[in-house]
Amino acid sequence: MIVIRDLVFEYPGHRALNGVSLAVERGAITALVGPNGAGKTTLLRCMAALETPYAGTVTVDGLDTRSSPRAIHALLGYLPDFFGLYDALSVRRCLHYAARAHGIGPDAAAGAAAKAAARAGLSDRLEQAAGALSRGLRQRLAIAQAIVHQPRVLLLDEPAAGLDPQARRDLSQLLLSLKQGGMTLVVSSHILAELEDYSDRMIIVDHGRIAGGQTITLKDAAHTRVRIVLATPRPDLPAFLHGMANIEVLADGNMRALVSLSGDASERAALLAALIQNGFAVAEFAEDARALEDVYFAQVKS
Amino acid sequence: MNPELLRNLWLEANPFRLSLIAGLLLLVFAASSASNIATPAGAGLALYWFFAVLWGTRSAALSVVAEIRERTWDSQKLSSIGPWAMMWGKLLGATSANWFGALLCLPFILYPPWRDSGSAAAITYGIILLALGLFAQAVALLSSLMLIRRQTGNWRLDTFLCQVAGIGAAFAYYSLWSSAGAFERTIGQTITWWGQVFNVTAFHFASLLLFLAWALTGCWRAMRAELRFANGPFVWLAWLAYLCLYDAGFESEIALRMPVLLQAGPVVMRLSLAALVPLLTCYSMAFLEPKDPVRLRWLGEQLRAGHLRQAFLVLDAWILSYGVTLVLGLALAACFAASNLSRLAFPVLAMLGFVTRDLAIFVLMRTMAGGKGDFAALAIIAALYLLMPVLANGLHLSVLGVLFLPAAQNPLGPLVSWAQGIGVAWWAARRIGASFTSR
Repeated sequence: MIVIRDLVFEYPGHRALNGVSLAVERGAITALVGPNGAGKTTLLRCMAALETPYAGTVTVDGLDTRSSPRAIHALLGYLPDFFGLYDALSVRRCLHYAARAHGIGPDAAAGAAAKAAARAGLSDRLEQAAGALSRGLRQRLAIAQAIVHQPRVLLLDEPAAGLDPQARRDLSQLLLSLKQGGMTLVVSSHILAELEDYSDRMIIVDHGRIAGGQTITLKDAAHTRVRIVLATPRPDLPAFLHGMANIEVLADGNMRALVSLSGDASERAALLAALIQNGFAVAEFAEDARALEDVYFAQVKS
Repeated sequence: MNPELLRNLWLEANPFRLSLIAGLLLLVFAASSASNIATPAGAGLALYWFFAVLWGTRSAALSVVAEIRERTWDSQKLSSIGPWAMMWGKLLGATSANWFGALLCLPFILYPPWRDSGSAAAITYGIILLALGLFAQAVALLSSLMLIRRQTGNWRLDTFLCQVAGIGAAFAYYSLWSSAGAFERTIGQTITWWGQVFNVTAFHFASLLLFLAWALTGCWRAMRAELRFANGPFVWLAWLAYLCLYDAGFESEIALRMPVLLQAGPVVMRLSLAALVPLLTCYSMAFLEPKDPVRLRWLGEQLRAGHLRQAFLVLDAWILSYGVTLVLGLALAACFAASNLSRLAFPVLAMLGFVTRDLAIFVLMRTMAGGKGDFAALAIIAALYLLMPVLANGLHLSVLGVLFLPAAQNPLGPLVSWAQGIGVAWWAARRIGASFTSR
C-alpha cells in the first residue's frame, strides 16, 4: 500500500531520514517504533504527503507524494501526535465539518458523522463541546475525524500518549475494528507495550534509518507460533515434534518447545491431540505472539 | 455552503456575539445623535475602521495563525477543500462578526454623501469602503500565509505583524482620501499616468480594485502552496510586471522630485521607476521568505545537474525579484551610459552589487541563526548603510565610503560592491553546501 525507496529528508543542519526504504502491507497494522527523535514523525509526515522529500520516493497506493499530494490526501486519514480540535464546537459539528471538508456532500455528511461517532464510541457525546471532553475522548474524536471519510490508509502518530489503561484498551479495539474493515494502519509509538495488542508488522526507526533494513512480521496470518510446556520433562519431545509433518520446530527442550504451524485451527487441535495420545503431560499449549520488546532489542542490537 | 466558511460562521458569528455588536453600535449611534462629540457619520466611519480594518485584519491573520497555534492546520491541509474555497472560507468566515459590525455602520457613513452628492457618489464611496476593508484583510491573510512558512512559533508577534501590514495597506490607500469630505473634494480632479489624464477618483477606485484583485490572487497562491499545489513562477513575474508598469506610469511625478533625470528622457525616468519595484520586493521577500538552506542546496543540485526548467519552476519570489532587478538595473545602467548622464551608470551597477551582497547576507544569516537570522541580517545591512559611512567620515576616511554606498563618478564603485557581493554569496553557498550532521 505504501512503498518508500531511498527516502532522504533533511532539516537545516541535520538529516532526519537517511535512505529509508520500506513497504507497508495493505490491510495490516504496522507499528513504527523507535526512540524519541528517531525520525518517526518525519517519516509519517512524508507518507502523508505533508513534507517533500529531499531525495527518494514515497508512493501511496501507487501515487507519488511529489506529483500527486492532493490525491494522496484524499486517500488517507492522519492523526498528528499533538493534534488540535475546535474546542468551541460540539462533537457533532466537529465531525460534520470533517465530513464536509473531506468532500462528503451536505446530505450525506450527517450520516457520515454519525457513523464515525459510532465507530469511535462517541454517539452519546454528540452535543458535548469538544473542549469539554476528557483526554481519551478527545483522542477518539480526533480519530473519528480522521476516519469520517473512510480513508484507505490511517496514519496515527503516538495515538496512545497520555491515555489511561482503559482508554488504551478502547483504542486497541478501535484500531483492530478499523483493520477488520479493510483499512491499512500505520501507528507510531516509542512505547512498545501499547503496540503489542494490535500490530501485525513492525518497522524500527533509529537515527533516521530502518534498523535491520526491513519490516518485521509479528503476526503471520498464514502461520501460528505455538508454545508447548509440559508438566514433567520428556527427553523425546524434540524427536516427537521433529517427526510431525507440517510443523517447524523453532525451539525445543525436555519440557518446552516453540513450533510454527499453519494458521488452520484444526492443525493445532491435531497437534494437541497427538501430544496427549503419546502421553505428554501438556501443561500449556498456547499461541505465542512475538514479544515486541524482544524483537525490538534483538533488531536494534543486530 | 463552503465547509470552511460554515465552520467559521459557527465559531465567529454566534448569536451572542452578533447581539453584543448590534447593541454596542446602537448605544454609540444613540450617544452620538444626542451629543455634540461626534456626528453619526463620523462615529460610523471610526467604527467601520475599527470593525473592518483594525479588528478585521487581526481576525483575518488569526484565521491561519490560530490553526497552527491550535494544531488543526495539518488536518485542514489534508482536507479536500481547495485553495480557492479555503481562502474565501477564511477571509469571509473568520471576519464574519467584523463584517456584521462594519455593514451596520455603512448606512450612517453613506447618508451624508447620498444627501449632498446623490446616490452615485454614495454607492462609489460605499464600494470603496467595502473594497478597502477586504483589501486590508486580504493583505493581513496573505502576510500570515507568508509568515507561517518561517515557523517562528511566536503567534502573537506574527499576528501583530500581519495586522500592521493590513492596516498599513489600508492607510496607504486611504491617505489619498483622508475623510469623506476629502473624498468628495477629489471628484473632478485629474491625475496623469503614462501621459494620459484620468479622473482622480476613477483612477484611485480602479487602482484599489486592481490591488485588491492582486491581494486575493496572492492569498490564493499562498494557500495553494500550503495545500501542496505547485505554483510556478509566472504569476509572481506577472505581479512584478504589473507593479513596474503601474509605477513607471508616474514619470511626471519623478520628474518633479528628481529633475536631473529629465535630461535622460522619459524612457530612463520610467525605467528608473520600474526598477525600484523588483528592488524593493527583493528585500521584502528576502526578509519574509524562509530561505531554507536545504531547499537552496536542492536547487543548487538541480542547477548543477542541468535541470534548469525544474529549478526555474520552483524558484522563490526573492530570487525571481533579484533576477528582474538585475535585468532592469543593467538596462538602466546601459541607458544612462548611452545618455548624457553616463556618470549615473556607475552607482546603478554598484547598487546591483550591494543588492547581491545584501541578499547573500540574508541567506548567510539564515544558515547561521535560523529564523532569527533575518533580523540579524537587517541589523547588519542597516549598519553597513547607515553607520559605517558615518564612521568612515568621522575618521576622515571618506575614501572608504565607496565600500558602503553607491558612489557617483567613481568607476571603482561597481568593482568594490560586486567584490563584496560575490564574496558574501560564496560564503553563503559554502554554508548551504556544508555537510549535514546526522542525529
